[in-house]
Amino acid sequence: MTDMSNRPRNGKYAIEARDLSVYYGDFRAVKTVNLRIEPRKITAIIGPSGCGKSTMLRAFNRMNELVPTAWAEGEVLFQGHNIYGDDVDAVQVRRHIGMVFQKPNPFPKTIYENVAWGARINGYKNSMDELVEKSLRQAALWDEVKDKLDQSGYSLSGGQQQRLCIARTIAVRPEIILMDETASDLEPVATLKIEDLMRQLAENYTIIVVTHNMQQAARVSDRTAFFMMDEDRAGYLVEYGPTKEIFTNPHNQRTEDYITGRFG
Amino acid sequence: MATRQKSIFQAKDPDFHDNLPRRHRAAKGWQVVLQASTVIGIIVLVALLLNIIDGAFGYVATQNSIEPEDLVMGVQEELMLTAPNTVASEDDNELAEGIASSPYAIGYFGYAYYLDRVDELRPLTVDGVAPTAETVDSGAYGLARPLFLYSTAEIMQEKPEVAAYLNFYLDRVNQEIEGVGYFALGDEALNAAMLTWLNATGIETVDAETVSWPVLDPQSVSGNVKTAGSSTVYPLSARMAELFQAAGYPGEVEIESIGSTAGFRRFCIAEDTDIVNASRPIKRAEVDLCNEADREPVEFRVGTDALAVVVSQENDFLTEVTTEQLRQIFTTAETWSDVDPGWPDEPIERFIPGADSGTLDFFTESVFDQDLADLPKETLVATLQDNVSKGLFRRFESEMPFEDRSKEDVYGLVVERVVEPEIVQTWPLFESVFGRSEVLAEAAAEYPDAEVSFVSWLNPKFIVNPQSANPERAGVRTAILGSLWTILITILFAFPLGVGAAIYLEEYAVDNRINRLIQTNINNLAGVPSIIYGMLGLAVFVRMLEVLTSGKLFGLVDPTTANGRTILSAGLTLGLLILPLIIINSQEAIKSVPNSLRQAGMGLGATRWQTIWHHVLPNAMPGVLTGTILAVSRAIGETAPLVVVGASTFITVDPTNPFSKFTTLPIQIYQWTSRPQDEFRNIAAAAILVLLVLLLTLNATAVLLRNRFSKRRMG
Repeated sequence: MTDMSNRPRNGKYAIEARDLSVYYGDFRAVKTVNLRIEPRKITAIIGPSGCGKSTMLRAFNRMNELVPTAWAEGEVLFQGHNIYGDDVDAVQVRRHIGMVFQKPNPFPKTIYENVAWGARINGYKNSMDELVEKSLRQAALWDEVKDKLDQSGYSLSGGQQQRLCIARTIAVRPEIILMDETASDLEPVATLKIEDLMRQLAENYTIIVVTHNMQQAARVSDRTAFFMMDEDRAGYLVEYGPTKEIFTNPHNQRTEDYITGRFG
Repeated sequence: MATRQKSIFQAKDPDFHDNLPRRHRAAKGWQVVLQASTVIGIIVLVALLLNIIDGAFGYVATQNSIEPEDLVMGVQEELMLTAPNTVASEDDNELAEGIASSPYAIGYFGYAYYLDRVDELRPLTVDGVAPTAETVDSGAYGLARPLFLYSTAEIMQEKPEVAAYLNFYLDRVNQEIEGVGYFALGDEALNAAMLTWLNATGIETVDAETVSWPVLDPQSVSGNVKTAGSSTVYPLSARMAELFQAAGYPGEVEIESIGSTAGFRRFCIAEDTDIVNASRPIKRAEVDLCNEADREPVEFRVGTDALAVVVSQENDFLTEVTTEQLRQIFTTAETWSDVDPGWPDEPIERFIPGADSGTLDFFTESVFDQDLADLPKETLVATLQDNVSKGLFRRFESEMPFEDRSKEDVYGLVVERVVEPEIVQTWPLFESVFGRSEVLAEAAAEYPDAEVSFVSWLNPKFIVNPQSANPERAGVRTAILGSLWTILITILFAFPLGVGAAIYLEEYAVDNRINRLIQTNINNLAGVPSIIYGMLGLAVFVRMLEVLTSGKLFGLVDPTTANGRTILSAGLTLGLLILPLIIINSQEAIKSVPNSLRQAGMGLGATRWQTIWHHVLPNAMPGVLTGTILAVSRAIGETAPLVVVGASTFITVDPTNPFSKFTTLPIQIYQWTSRPQDEFRNIAAAAILVLLVLLLTLNATAVLLRNRFSKRRMG
């Protein structure tokens, strides 16, 4: 296991997939993807259902491995290390690359504990109260919950719960935050709030977001990666570039078809 | 022709609407079946519970091997008979002569007998009352007891021979009574008795002043008269019956001498006698009992039994005594001055009736009116020593020296070992409640001396007493402790192991052939009959691991447990038995924890174990605990495997550690129900109630803990 915490950020890229293929047993879900994610930017992954967007996202912090049959081929470089290397512990990877899920999933604990738990098990030693407040502020939730920190995380509304999940991820101080359709299951106002929050967070964090909502991708992201699946149902990267370019002037015909709503 | 508009709800099946009622009936039918099975289930449960309760409460007939009053009387008589300077004799003349010969002598006998010796003897006043016809008649004189006959108006009217016998009795009693040795009635009392007779027979209603006493002819009646009761009245009644027959009565007068109490019972419950002979007035409760049998007793006072406490005419210092002084004079005091400093410092010379005399009993009863519990401790110890075997007495002494024992303790031993109340018959609850009079009648007929009382077999003593061969002394303490110890071991063994296995199988185990085999095996093991586990326990824990389970490994060498048939073996066996249940239930609980929680934990960089420990387990815990509670409940009620492993069926020593011999409640119940005596079934029912309560208590505690736990989790 290699300690990755005190290394300087390497090169231009926050994280980079090289010839990455992800399998579930014999089935190849994502094939030979090369993707370079720029730091402190929001990168959106879009594409039709089943094209391997989520699998690709989870490959970035080895969450795929929670499915017992999943395995990967190729490399994902993070701070100069292949996170799939033999000497790398998946738990270490996830400490640096956090994840927020589609459905809000707070722990059945108090709001305070929800935020504090991740930091505590990761050995955080400084003032926990400060960390909780700071994380909740960064997640734009502090004003709404500061008087009820000892209430259950479930007492919040869906949008608040999702922001609580973001706060809890921030509290572990990751370099990269993966968001798996994080703003999809919410009502429009809550969705907008989360999008605003993502923009703010992008000042400090690298964010990779999977979304099936193209307006959202266009609104919120700096760069966009478009995925499709081939005849073997394996997802592959079709086109990757600045969001503006992808949405206004795509190089690839399939991208254009998808963007303009001809299929998908 | 208009086509019928098809509703979108219209089914394609053209018979749909025709079939609807049939479908509804079918649905209704299933509902009825389900309701019926629920109701049957509840009825069965209630019936089961009622059946148990039926056995756990009810009437018992208890027969003492010796009545406590008799015991007290025996003790007091012994004291009197063994006091120094005491002459005891059945011959009244010897007593009278002895008393007359010394101014320091004192004694007592029937008052009638004193009347023959007025010149030589002088009666004392007792508690300020002198024995005269009036004081004796009115009851003011303490050493006297009235003699009665009891019958009812119905009997006297239906059976003329009874009326004739009573007529003859009242007519002649005052002429004969002194010859028998008792005190004649005053005119007023006799007139009252005669008036009662006249009213009861309904011959004529007159007032006491103008009573005209009809003398019936004994020859005019036939049939037998049955009487039973007091032994004191017996000689008088026997004399009267003899004269009645001599006067021409052709039938028999049957007189049983069974005591006043038994006499009333025969009269009021068994209802097979016409007249009660009694040496005391009827009690309130006995009147109630008689009324219940539609027998309204009428009372005939026929005389008085009185004692005279006499001294010599030469005695110049003693004219009156109190009851308290009498007690001292006839037992512990040695000189007169011991009793009263004003009296001479001369030894008391005592002359009392002998041990076989009813007079001694009567005097003891009247003067020493004490309960067994009021006797001093030394007397109780002496009583115990006189009445139990030497070996048993020595055993008591060695268990705890009598000097150190409390009086209550000794009293308890006397009651248990000497009075020795023995239950001769028991009745179940419902018979006791709904057939009360039948039960009482049956008891009175079969066990006239027995006391019938309502008992709860489930009582505090039953819970704190150890096992005993005597069902009245047997308790479940040993069994309760055994059950608790065993279940403690079971939980300590099965809970961590079971939950651990469940976590492994759900969270870590890869889906391969070996793990699938293990899973299938666990599911199958949950259905294996418990006795198989008993055999496994016998082979593995009792035999193979004897060194461990007998405690030898820990330097414990107890020859009585060295064979491994210990609490530890039993607990481990039961643990094996419920292990599959705990694993399966825990697996289900762990499965039901949403996956998103695991992802959330892992997504924050927690290890798998941290996620399990902090999130999965706490959220699965209510389900895990529910499964464990159910499993442990089953273990508490298990009998078969423990029998095989070697539970002791008779053990009186409390278990003190995991290497003790043991028995458990179900074993105890099983053993008791297989005994032939009724009482064991009663205590088995009580033990079942204890087991039920124990189970409910343990479950309720566990459920409360679980609820608190899950509430705290939800924060």
